[in-house]
Amino acid sequence: MTEEAEVPRNVTMANGLAPALVPDAGAAELRGDRHQPGATAALASPVVRLADVSCRRGRRQALHRVSLEVQPAQVTGVLGPNGAGKSTLLGVVAGLYRPFEGAAWVLGEHLPARGPGLRRRIGVVLQETALYEELTVAENLRLTAALYSLARAAPRITEVLELIDLADRANDVVARLSGGLRRRVTLARSLLHQPELLIIDEPTLGIDAEARHAVWQHIRLLRTRGTTVIVASNYLDEVQALCDTAAVLHEGRLVTHETPEHLVAQAGQCLDLDCAADATAGITDLVLTLPGVSRVEASSSGLTVFLRGNADPDDIVREVLQRAHIGGFRVRAADLAEVFRVLDPAGKG
Amino acid sequence: MTPTLTALGGGFRAEIQQLRRSRLLIVLTIAEAVTFLVLVSIFGLTGSHVPTAVVDRDGGRLARQWAQVMATSYHTYGVRYMNGRAAEQALGRGDVAAILWIPPGFSRHMASHRMIRIHFRVDNVNADLTTEAELGIPPVARAFGVANHFPGIRVVTAEKDLARHEVGFIPYLVVSALALAAFVVAGTLAASAVAREFESRTLAYLRLSPTHPLVPIAGRLLATAAVSAGAVTVAALLVVAGYGVVPDHPIEMAAALLLCVVIFSCIGAAIGTVVRRTQPLSALIFGLALALYLDSGSLEPARFYGNRLWVVAHTSPVYYAVGIIQQAVHEIQVTPETAPVNFAALIGWALLAAGAAWLGLRRAVVA
Repeated sequence: MTEEAEVPRNVTMANGLAPALVPDAGAAELRGDRHQPGATAALASPVVRLADVSCRRGRRQALHRVSLEVQPAQVTGVLGPNGAGKSTLLGVVAGLYRPFEGAAWVLGEHLPARGPGLRRRIGVVLQETALYEELTVAENLRLTAALYSLARAAPRITEVLELIDLADRANDVVARLSGGLRRRVTLARSLLHQPELLIIDEPTLGIDAEARHAVWQHIRLLRTRGTTVIVASNYLDEVQALCDTAAVLHEGRLVTHETPEHLVAQAGQCLDLDCAADATAGITDLVLTLPGVSRVEASSSGLTVFLRGNADPDDIVREVLQRAHIGGFRVRAADLAEVFRVLDPAGKG
Repeated sequence: MTPTLTALGGGFRAEIQQLRRSRLLIVLTIAEAVTFLVLVSIFGLTGSHVPTAVVDRDGGRLARQWAQVMATSYHTYGVRYMNGRAAEQALGRGDVAAILWIPPGFSRHMASHRMIRIHFRVDNVNADLTTEAELGIPPVARAFGVANHFPGIRVVTAEKDLARHEVGFIPYLVVSALALAAFVVAGTLAASAVAREFESRTLAYLRLSPTHPLVPIAGRLLATAAVSAGAVTVAALLVVAGYGVVPDHPIEMAAALLLCVVIFSCIGAAIGTVVRRTQPLSALIFGLALALYLDSGSLEPARFYGNRLWVVAHTSPVYYAVGIIQQAVHEIQVTPETAPVNFAALIGWALLAAGAAWLGLRRAVVA
C-alpha cells in the first residue's frame, strides 16, 4: 500500500524530467471540441503509467526504457513501423508480457500484482482475430460472457452487437465472415464486459477502406462514452484520424509523445513535381535555395520536395514555374517514414 | 454459480456447439469406433483357421470321422469337402491352403488297426499357415486314435481351467477393440480441441480473461469426452447386440469404458499440446493406437508372447485398459496384475497425461 501511495510522485518526477513525453498542451487547446476531454483529462490521474519500462521478447529487447502516460477518456496512438515494439508495449499494458525493468501501473494497479480484477477492467483486441471460427458471432460472445462471468449476458450481447452494427450477423458462423467483419467481432468481444481501458493492436490490419472507416467510427464512439483507448498502428493517417496523442516508437525506444497534428506539422508536407529527367538537376538546385525546403528526392515522375511545417507549397510551385517547366504537381501529407526522418535526423530512424 | 464453473460451462457449451456444426466429424467418429470392431473381426476370421480341402476317396464311416475330428480341432482347420479336381483348382487359386486326401480303403485299414498312408499337400506360400497346418495333423491323429481305441494310444486329459469359461477369439478381440476405439475417438477429439486453441491463437485471448485459461479448455475437454463416451457406447451396444457378447458385469464394463474415455482424453490433450496442429493428429493417434493395441494383449494376453514384449506392453495404457475391460466383460484376468492394480496404473497414466497437458498449456500461456 505504501508503495502504491508513492508511485504517482515518482512518475510525476519522471515526467518532469522528460517534458518531450507530455503532449503539447497548447496544441490541445487549439483543437476545439474534439480535444476538450483530453485537456480536462490531463488533470485526472493517468490510466496507464509506464516508467522506464524495458521488455524482452526472446533474445530481442523489444522495449527499452519507455516512459509513457495515457490519460483517461483519450485515444492514444502507438505509432511505429513493424518491429518497433508497439505490440510489446500493448502486451505489457494488457498483461501478456512482464517488464523486466522499470515499473508499470494500469488503472492504478502495479502490473506484477495484476489479477482477475484488473483483467476484468481491460479489453484487448489482438492483432490476430483469435476467434472460434466454427462458432457463430453470438456464440463467440456468449463464451466471452462466460469467461467474464457476466450477469444478464444476453441483453448485453444484443447491446454490443447493435453498437458495433453486427446485430444482423449474430447467427453467422465466424469462418464465413470477411476480414472487416471479423475485426468488428473482436471489437465487440473486447467491449462486452464494458472495460475502462481498451487496447487495440492494429485495428484496421488487412481490411478494406469501408471497414476501416467503420472501425474508426466505433473507436470514436467509445471515446465519446469515456472509454480510454490505446491503439497501435502503422499508419500516420489512422493515428491522425483517431488519436488525441501519439507515442512514436522506434526500435523499442519512445521517440516522442505528442499530438498527431504536431507530429504531422513537424514532418511537414511533400510536394511531388512532375518534370522531365534532364530538368531534375536544375530544379533541384533551384528548390534547395528556397526557404522551407528541407530536402529533395528523385521520384519516378520527377522530384519529391520535402517541406518543413511552416513552408507554403504554393510559394515553391510559383518559384519553380517562373524558372523551369513542370508537367504538374501534387501536395500531400508526409508519411510515417518522413516523420521518422524528421524525428531522427541522424538517420537512426 | 462460481466464475470458474461459469467459465467451465462456457467452454463445454462452445465445444458442443462447435462439434454440432461438424456433424460429419461426429458421424465419422462413431463410424470409427464401429469399424474397429469390424477390423478386428476380420482379423480374427482370417487368422483362426487354415482353410483345408478334404478329398474323401474312401467314403466310409471312419473316413468321415477323421474329417470331423479335423474340423473340430480347435482353431486349426477350416474343413471344406471337395472332389480331387476342385480341391486342386482351389489350392491353385489360393482358396484353400492345404488338401488332405483320404485314400480308398481307409476305413477298412483303420477298422483292422493297420497302417495306411494319408497324402497331405500344403501350400507353403505362407510359412505361418504351413507350420500351423503341419503341426495340426499329429493331434488330429491322436484324437482319432483315442476315439477309436487304437492300441498303443493312451491319452488321459485332466483339465483344470483357470478361467471360469472359455472365450472365443472374436469375442475377445471385439472387447479389446472397445479400448482401442476409446483411445482413438477420445484421443483424437481431445487432441483436436486443444490443438485448435493453438492453431486459432485463441489461447492468448483466453489468457487475457479473468478466468484461468485452463478452465474453459477443461470445459471443452469435458465436451469431447461426452461425445467420445457416446461413440464408444454405440460400439459397445454393437458388441452386445451384434456379436452377442453379453458382459458379465455391465456396470463395471460401463465404468471401465468411461474411465478409458477420461484417461484417453487426458492423453489426447497432452498430444494436442505437443503437436499443436489439428491436421496430423488423426494419423498420429491412429498410428499410435494400432501399435499400442497390438502390443497390449488385445489379441491374446500379452504374457503369452514372452518377457520382452510383456515388459514393453506395460508401458502402454491400452494394456491396462484391455485388462480391465476383459475382466468386466468376460470375467477373465488377462494380465498378471489384478483389476485394482490396472485401475491404479490407468489413473496414474491419466494423471501423468493431464499433468503433461497442463504443463504444456501453461508453458504456452506463459510464452
